Amino acid sequence: MNAVRQWSERLIGAVPIIGLLALWQAIAMSGLAPPALLPTPGVVFARFFQQLGSPAFLDHAAVTLYRLFAGFMIAVVMGVTLGIAAVGSRAFAAIVTPVVRVLAPVPKIALYPALTLTLGYDDASKIALVIADAMFPILLATYQGASAVEPKLAWSARAAGVSPVRTLFTVVLPAAMPSVLTGARIGLIISCIVVFLAEMITSTDGLGHLLMRAARNFQTVDMFVPLIAISMLGLMLNALFNLVRRRLLRGFPEEK
Amino acid sequence: MIAIEGVSKRFDAARDRRHLALNDVTLSVAEGEFVSILGPSGCGKSTLLYIVGGFVEPTAGRVLVKDVPVRGPGPDRGPVFQEFALFPWKTVLGNVMYGLQQGGVPRAEALARSRELLTMVRLSAYENFYPKELSGGMKQRVAIARTLAYRPNILLMDEPFGALDAHTRTGLQNDLLHIWDKDRKTVLFVTHSVEEAVFLSDRVVMMSSAPGRIKQIFDIDLPRPRSRAELLLDRRFQDYVVEIEKMFDDTAQQAPA
Ligand SMILES: Nc1ncnc2c1ncn2[C@@H]1O[C@H](COP(=O)(O)OP(=O)(O)OP(=O)(O)O)[C@@H](O)[C@H]1O
Ligand SMILES: [Mg+2]
Repeated sequence: MNAVRQWSERLIGAVPIIGLLALWQAIAMSGLAPPALLPTPGVVFARFFQQLGSPAFLDHAAVTLYRLFAGFMIAVVMGVTLGIAAVGSRAFAAIVTPVVRVLAPVPKIALYPALTLTLGYDDASKIALVIADAMFPILLATYQGASAVEPKLAWSARAAGVSPVRTLFTVVLPAAMPSVLTGARIGLIISCIVVFLAEMITSTDGLGHLLMRAARNFQTVDMFVPLIAISMLGLMLNALFNLVRRRLLRGFPEEK
Repeated sequence: MIAIEGVSKRFDAARDRRHLALNDVTLSVAEGEFVSILGPSGCGKSTLLYIVGGFVEPTAGRVLVKDVPVRGPGPDRGPVFQEFALFPWKTVLGNVMYGLQQGGVPRAEALARSRELLTMVRLSAYENFYPKELSGGMKQRVAIARTLAYRPNILLMDEPFGALDAHTRTGLQNDLLHIWDKDRKTVLFVTHSVEEAVFLSDRVVMMSSAPGRIKQIFDIDLPRPRSRAELLLDRRFQDYVVEIEKMFDDTAQQAPA
């Protein structure tokens, strides 16, 4: 019964995506855009699956995945640590809050030229950009969530003789986990977008670079393939994220 | 054991909303004594308990525990909160073991001690359940076991049975007395129920509100160990309940709405 419902929910979830593809197909066939500029989804997907067999393409995808994942993980560690520390120490919060207010709205992509000059054109500058963009939503969600934790949870730990710092990490952080993970999910999506953008601007490898190379050579089919690839990567990471999330949030009332 | 000396607490929510929650409360509790605190809602019972626990600082006065001024929470005073305050991400066993593991007790010993406590509160079959999967009375028993685990000398219980139905409540009262009879911890017990206070306590402290003060202290001179069935028939028990209830009604009527 439950399995049936799960599958039917998944099928319903596929409907809008099929709709999107149908729209794409319709526009491509309507002649609004010349076929040379807008290939049909069938052609693009055929090329995508063909590329999945190409080691060179997989290398580019792997490079993108590495930058994305490394940047995201560092952003999680930094955002969570800074957010929790700001809840734990008023002095630290007094330093961090204005810095966050000033830096959060800055378009980090504008820093990218400076990052490439200091960190080079390789992985480091792209990872740094991902961190800069993904960290803020995680930091803010952690801070908000940890500030709202019921004080009696922390009191229960303190009464058991647990130090304030340990209480912060063993009680306040887990109690704020639903909020932290919401921030992390937004951070993950931002990471997908930003790593691609960085690779489009200056890179010699990665999915973003593939897109730019195809565009320069008017290979329109190959232009769409990296987009499909990054979307698939995002889907995979999201599924992985949900797995971790379900484990971490076991026991929370709002989780099924 | 506990000496509350001239404790006052004022909350300054805003300049026009100053509130004197406690005014010059003095009370001493002997080692092994079971003292209940009764009083109208909002008279500062929880606040007083939090101050003894070291979670909230008094505006004036001080609390001594074994002649040492309280400067913060410590494992000599175990709180049991009205809202249970269980860790939702930990199982029943995980909740009870938490303090022991953090305190560096070896895992095997922490496990044995926690299981023993869960047996005592009759929850051994539920050790792998999460708090959300338990009833209110079961959660309360987990909270009590979690606090007993680090063996505090003093228990600070804030209406622990307040949210429970009458049957569960009397069951837990019996359990609590049974546990208490074993090692006679010092207990400060906040409640709304006169009967509960008389049944459990050596002394009942009646507070009045706005500002919260101690109005009267009743010595409950009933034999121990107490059994509910016997006490309900005991004339002295009935007299205590009637007398304190009458005082409670007067206090509540005097309280500004
Ligand atoms: N953090 C706070 N800020 C401002 N006022 C507070 C705060 N905590 C408590 N008070 C006030 O102090 C008074 C006493 O509150 P407290 O919770 O100690 O009452 P109580 O006797 O435990 O009531 P109840 O029986 O309803 O639990 C109340 O009038 C309340 O408004
Ligand atoms: Mg209260």
